[in-house]
Amino acid sequence: MQNNLISKNFNHSFLNSESLTEEREKAFLNLKTIGLPNKRVENWKYTDLTSITKGLEFKPGKVDIEILNKDLKGLVVADFEYFIKNKDQYSKPTNYLKDEGVVYLNLSYASDARVIEIRESQSEPIVIKITAKGPGVTFPRLKIDIFPNVEAEVCFVYNGGEGFVNQLTEIHLGKDSGLNLYRVNESSSIHSETFLSYLNLNANLSMVNLSMPKNKSRFQVYNIFLDKHSSTDFKSISIPSNSCHDDFLIQNNHISSNCESNVGMRAILDKGVICSFQALIDIESNILSSKAEQDCKAILLHKEASMNAKPEMKIFNDDVVCKHGTTIGSLDKDQIFYLKSRGLDKKSSENLLLKGIVKNYIPNNSLLNNFLPKAYQ
Amino acid sequence: MSNNFLNIKSLSVKVDDKLIINNLSLSIGRGEVHAIMGPNGSGKSTLSNVLAGKDGYTIVNGAIDFSGEDLISLEPNERANKGIFLAFQYPVEIPGVTNINFIKTALESNRKYRGLEPIKPGEFLKLIKEKSKILGIPEDRLKRQLNVGFSGGEKKRNEALQLLMLEPSLAILDETDSGLDVDAFKIVADTINSTRNKDNSMLVITHYQRLLERIKPDIVHIFVDGSIVESGGPELANEVESDGYERFGDAK
Repeated sequence: MQNNLISKNFNHSFLNSESLTEEREKAFLNLKTIGLPNKRVENWKYTDLTSITKGLEFKPGKVDIEILNKDLKGLVVADFEYFIKNKDQYSKPTNYLKDEGVVYLNLSYASDARVIEIRESQSEPIVIKITAKGPGVTFPRLKIDIFPNVEAEVCFVYNGGEGFVNQLTEIHLGKDSGLNLYRVNESSSIHSETFLSYLNLNANLSMVNLSMPKNKSRFQVYNIFLDKHSSTDFKSISIPSNSCHDDFLIQNNHISSNCESNVGMRAILDKGVICSFQALIDIESNILSSKAEQDCKAILLHKEASMNAKPEMKIFNDDVVCKHGTTIGSLDKDQIFYLKSRGLDKKSSENLLLKGIVKNYIPNNSLLNNFLPKAYQ
Repeated sequence: MSNNFLNIKSLSVKVDDKLIINNLSLSIGRGEVHAIMGPNGSGKSTLSNVLAGKDGYTIVNGAIDFSGEDLISLEPNERANKGIFLAFQYPVEIPGVTNINFIKTALESNRKYRGLEPIKPGEFLKLIKEKSKILGIPEDRLKRQLNVGFSGGEKKRNEALQLLMLEPSLAILDETDSGLDVDAFKIVADTINSTRNKDNSMLVITHYQRLLERIKPDIVHIFVDGSIVESGGPELANEVESDGYERFGDAK
């Protein structure tokens, strides 16, 4: 009998792990109640996870989490033992995401984790490779703590797999800290990542996401501005492989005053690709002097490519500066004509414009440049 | 055989269903500078776009011969590589593409078309710095994204830089003088004028006689309702400057 990945088939196999039993049991009960996301859930309307994982067998898979330069000074790395010793940290994401099935799924079964404390500023980027192997379901967990006054760069690289990766990532930013985060997604698994950042006073998180999935991908980001004068800047480039699916959701929850959030997405979409962008700016009534921007531009290279965009703003006071814009279409005809009028043929003009779109987010000196397809380097 | 290398014969052009160019004939010989003056909406920019090959215009009648070839059948890039250069009235912004990289790509495309070897990086850099200096363009602007955040004047200088680098045989200047302050105007106009020689021609579209004082045309054409209504020497520009277009049938 095929044991497919649907909620009713989830079992108590996590009890074998003999750790965090109570936390897992609680998460499991929530998972059973809520179930896996489907298109009836507003935030998942563009990715019916229940449907796309239906044919997968619910059996443990294998995932390698490798930190390439873990011996750097000022770096302390722990594994899953950290959560056994710090039980309060294990379920912390559910304080902010109470109705998210994929979070409860991860908390029920997670066994592979890395916790990285960055206690001193780093002069070189910390590279973390997460590689899924073969079929099966995996639940990697990452937690990065940036200590106060520390500046660092971190790069996540996702690859491999034929099953389902359900990842949970948290970034804690201490007072006056800063993190430049890079993310490269070349996963061939069905890949779902829930990403939470907690920003303390005057902390800054900048991220560039290069998403080139070879299967179906969902990346959901929740930035939580715990204290004043914190800021986030997220740029995402989506270049999925043909017939693949890339879904990016970001919510900036301005729960403190004087914070700033910027979100930009650029998508270059070829045959059969479906891409989605959902971005929410949420500013509560007592929160003052917020700034927030959203901007999305998608280029459809093929008639069978499609883009969904859903910018949202929930703003409950007047002391804000916000703007948003979304464009979906083909390359600008006036730009093509300008380039052709200088002697470039149609193909070269289009390639130069597409390269320009990418270079605007990933310049030649970016860490991500080497990960780009040759045409964009 | 005529010395003309641009011959426009009985050209009529429509945009949607509206006739913009109406039975226009114009010949420009090698080394000649022609100016077109006319009121707003008379079809001057349409003519420049049609010559450069922009989509969206329907040629309902006539022919354009450029250096013995049927220009209408050529793609915009083929026209450019054969020597036609349009200095745009409103140059577009191209985010993510640096100015210097774009000009190098355009120059290489042009050289490749003409069967020339690619220019060596060192030579190119020397050349573009030299030309930029003439136009008063600071080096850091070459590294900026093409026209992004440029002022109107900076964009026009950049158009002039491309003209200097690409050395076209027919330069079409579509209101290149607009948006320039007095000093920049002099630099750009004098620099463009310095490119004149017996082999290169220009079609200068302008509203103002001041440009034609610096790029002295051989012939001035008055353009009204899509046709040339009168042609003459530079004195025609002086007349327009003092009396407007009323005598030529436009009393707007």
